[in-house]
Amino acid sequence: MSGLGELDRPGTPGHPGTPGGPETPGGLGTPGGSGAWDERSRRWPDRAPGPASDSVRAGSREGHPERRPGTTRRAGPDPVKALMQRHRALCERAVDPLEIAAGLEAHGVTDRTAAHFRHRDVFSLAEEMYARVPRDDEPPSPESDLLPGDASGHDTDRLTGAGDGSLPAAPTATPPARPGWIALTLLPGALCAATVAGLRLTHGQPRLITAAAGALAAALALRVVLRRWRPAGGPHPHTATWTSWLVGYALLGDGLLGVVLRGGPDALPTGGADGPWPVSATPALALALACAPALWCAHLFAVRARRTLATSRGLNDFTASVRTLLYGTFALFLCVTAALAALSGALLDQPVPAPQTLTLGALLFLARLTAGHGLTHTPALVLTGAATAEATALAGLFAGRLPGCGVLAVPVEALVTTWGPGSVPTAACGAGALTLLLHATRRLTRASAHADPEPHR
Amino acid sequence: MRIGLLTEGGYPYLSGDAGLWCDRLVRGLGQHEFDVYALSRSEDQEDEGWVPLPPQVSRVRTAPLWTARDAGPAYGRRARRRFTEYYGELADVLCASGTGDLPGHPGETSASEADRFANALHGLAGLARDEGPLAGALRSETAVRALERACRAPGAQRPAREARVPDLLAVVAHLARALRPLSLDWYDDAGLGAVDLCHAASGGSAALPGLLARHFFGVPLLLTEYGVRLRTHYLTATEYSPSIRALVAAFHGRLTAEIYRRAAVITHGNAHARRWQERCGADRAKLRTVHPGMDAAPFTEAGEYPDRTAPDTLVWVGTVEPAKDLVSLLHALTEIRKEEPWTRLRIIGSPRDPEGAEYLAHCRALAAHLFPDDADGPYAPGRDPVSFEAIGDPGLPFARDAYTAGALVVLSSVVEGFPAGLVEAMLCARATVCTDVGAVVEAVGGTGLVVPPRNPRALAEACVALLRDPGRRARLGAAARARALELFTVEQNVTAFHGIYQEIHSRTPVRRVVPYDAGEPRPFAAPAETHVPDRWTAGARPRAARSRPGWATDAPPRPAAALSAVEGAR
Repeated sequence: MSGLGELDRPGTPGHPGTPGGPETPGGLGTPGGSGAWDERSRRWPDRAPGPASDSVRAGSREGHPERRPGTTRRAGPDPVKALMQRHRALCERAVDPLEIAAGLEAHGVTDRTAAHFRHRDVFSLAEEMYARVPRDDEPPSPESDLLPGDASGHDTDRLTGAGDGSLPAAPTATPPARPGWIALTLLPGALCAATVAGLRLTHGQPRLITAAAGALAAALALRVVLRRWRPAGGPHPHTATWTSWLVGYALLGDGLLGVVLRGGPDALPTGGADGPWPVSATPALALALACAPALWCAHLFAVRARRTLATSRGLNDFTASVRTLLYGTFALFLCVTAALAALSGALLDQPVPAPQTLTLGALLFLARLTAGHGLTHTPALVLTGAATAEATALAGLFAGRLPGCGVLAVPVEALVTTWGPGSVPTAACGAGALTLLLHATRRLTRASAHADPEPHR
Repeated sequence: MRIGLLTEGGYPYLSGDAGLWCDRLVRGLGQHEFDVYALSRSEDQEDEGWVPLPPQVSRVRTAPLWTARDAGPAYGRRARRRFTEYYGELADVLCASGTGDLPGHPGETSASEADRFANALHGLAGLARDEGPLAGALRSETAVRALERACRAPGAQRPAREARVPDLLAVVAHLARALRPLSLDWYDDAGLGAVDLCHAASGGSAALPGLLARHFFGVPLLLTEYGVRLRTHYLTATEYSPSIRALVAAFHGRLTAEIYRRAAVITHGNAHARRWQERCGADRAKLRTVHPGMDAAPFTEAGEYPDRTAPDTLVWVGTVEPAKDLVSLLHALTEIRKEEPWTRLRIIGSPRDPEGAEYLAHCRALAAHLFPDDADGPYAPGRDPVSFEAIGDPGLPFARDAYTAGALVVLSSVVEGFPAGLVEAMLCARATVCTDVGAVVEAVGGTGLVVPPRNPRALAEACVALLRDPGRRARLGAAARARALELFTVEQNVTAFHGIYQEIHSRTPVRRVVPYDAGEPRPFAAPAETHVPDRWTAGARPRAARSRPGWATDAPPRPAAALSAVEGAR
């Protein structure tokens, strides 16, 4: 038709928004007889004749005893009260008289109907109804209308709502943990363990192939797992590169550092811990195994933070509780990672470089946690910084070999001779992790970090 | 004149609300130049594309309302302080006890609050203009904190005091979305600063750019509301917590009042919208009724040769849904058939959604129960007195065939906006019997019978009265067609807006000040004649040259030509 007639269509009585359940006209009951009409007519006691424009009077009801409403036609001396009872949900819900007016109109109340309630128009009728709704001045207790158990999910659904074009609708930031996802998070660890086992069983050319294939498979699995938690606006570019560098350094870097100090390297790494360029597979295995607990911890943090959000009264309360939650989650992750590092050391029968593993794990976990809440910039910056620091240490050592540049190698040499080769990544990753922890303490404890992200194209 | 047409989820997009109306307006007013500024509502809408645009649309600028294009730069300290100040003021106004000074009850507090709201809005817009998009700041912790402070302040309204953290976040997200037009790059001398008049096709977000254009450049604003946005908002946002609804409703109420206050002219389609506008604080002197226009051409033949049909048939035409109350109509038919046993009813229409389909099935079952087939004689085959059909069925290819299929068109709705179907029936010169809902009385005037809704007996009596009196039917039908042609045609609609444009332009022209080098304003620097649309100036543009000669373009185009173009676009 014209497309215009529908513009000002008041919502139909059965509109999902209005509490129209009981008042849906022709409430599709028995498909025979006058059941629907009777039901409806009973709910409409004030069906007084309106002014007909052409001398048509509303008919009387003789001959239809079954249509006579159960209640009296004039609902007692206080017709507005009857109307309020009929629209009880609307009245109780309304936050101002205009909302009642809109709801009444959607149920077919017009100014002519309002005249039967001795009101000039629907607005003044709605004002009377709004004024007469009993309102207790006691604020409702938080527990009364909010079950702590499912508060998170329920409230999230309510907040994100349906896209009615009015209030924002967004996908929830925290996907529910499904068994499939939990199994998926274990995949990188499993693949890495399989690779390490393969490396032990193979030698020569197959060993190289096994290492390459295993690393590739683990990286792909990690990518698949992390895709579920894409930060809003997409991940920061180059994050993956710097993360790979950091993990690669954990695998090869310490050995290389020692070799360079001794004047090498003279040969490529063989994959063993005792070659000319020793490879320490323990941190890599531990970190791959720690992938699953890291994602679980991040999920736990998000879920618990949302639950806190739903129950906290003010922003300061929220900040205080989430700060505790953040530290708790972080500590939990560190404990699990330490245990996994010890486990992988025992499995591989190698010494565990615990400080490097823990600091790198902490750094990556915090980067993931903050990026998961849409703060992608700082983690990318910190990862870049840590990787650059490690690269600078190596480059300094190599540059020290150039004539006249020996001074460049001095600080790293001093560090390594005092604290061992592991001190370089520990310092770099530790500083980065600390920065990110401070950043997370500031930003992740804000309520706005846990709001639903905006839709992006 | 150069008109800035502001739409939200509307005109140039294929699936827009009120797209047809805007299209007819733009095509009908070929002597003006239109710049369309459109806000899109969803990604799907953007993907669907635009309707074909006539040459008088010189430019189209769009912006998404559903996503922020970019979060904007991180604000510096001074910008942050400005933002906190303005946002805090906005939040204060929203949280201020709303019941004492409703829009429509202007008092001193109300006026000062309205001023504060306007100041905050303009301040935020100025900030966005100076420092870059607001999107990031509007969702930042600063905003949440400002809102919390306002909610906990003494004197805040009760639902605001009870707001919890999720409520605050939801309100902040909603405000960020609603205030998105503040961050647009439309407010410069080449954009909205260059138009002579802003015409907002709906209230709310669409009118916000017009409000700012008025603030920054003094461009007058014409607001057309065929549906009152505030009311729609109340009806749709029902599933949120009271705190969210109270704050968001306060925002929309204030925004609506501010738009009404600043608009030069406010138009509406019927008295119902007019009452809402008055209630929300619109000045009566600014209100104009512009009835929606319907295309009369398809109904001309039907209207001019009216009686070709069965005299004992009633017709109902429309979309099948519960609000149409077909059950009442079927019950009325039982009453009618007691008086006029051979009366038939043709229900012509199809459902639009599953709920409507269910309702249609229910009505079919009820009809089968109430009316067993009847036959003309003991050996004649029976036929059902109630038939359910749809436009497009054999024998009913067009809407006009549906209306002319019976002697009488009946409308039994319990809820109705502007009854487009009724006007089409009037254009077909049909006598009508309607229920007194929505804008029905306004549309039908004295040319049909109007009965109370949900009253089958009154409906039956009216129908019987007209079925028994063909002369009266014919008289009412002729009067109905005359009335519809006078009030509800596209030409009427377009002419009314043309008149309003000229009225606004004569009363509140944009004063563009062009300074001398020394900074003093130069008199007569920007007379009305300086701007000539591109397509007038050159035969160089083949499109303009092809459509009609260059010397003829300043005359208003013939509406008939525009109409056929519209039909093509339909």
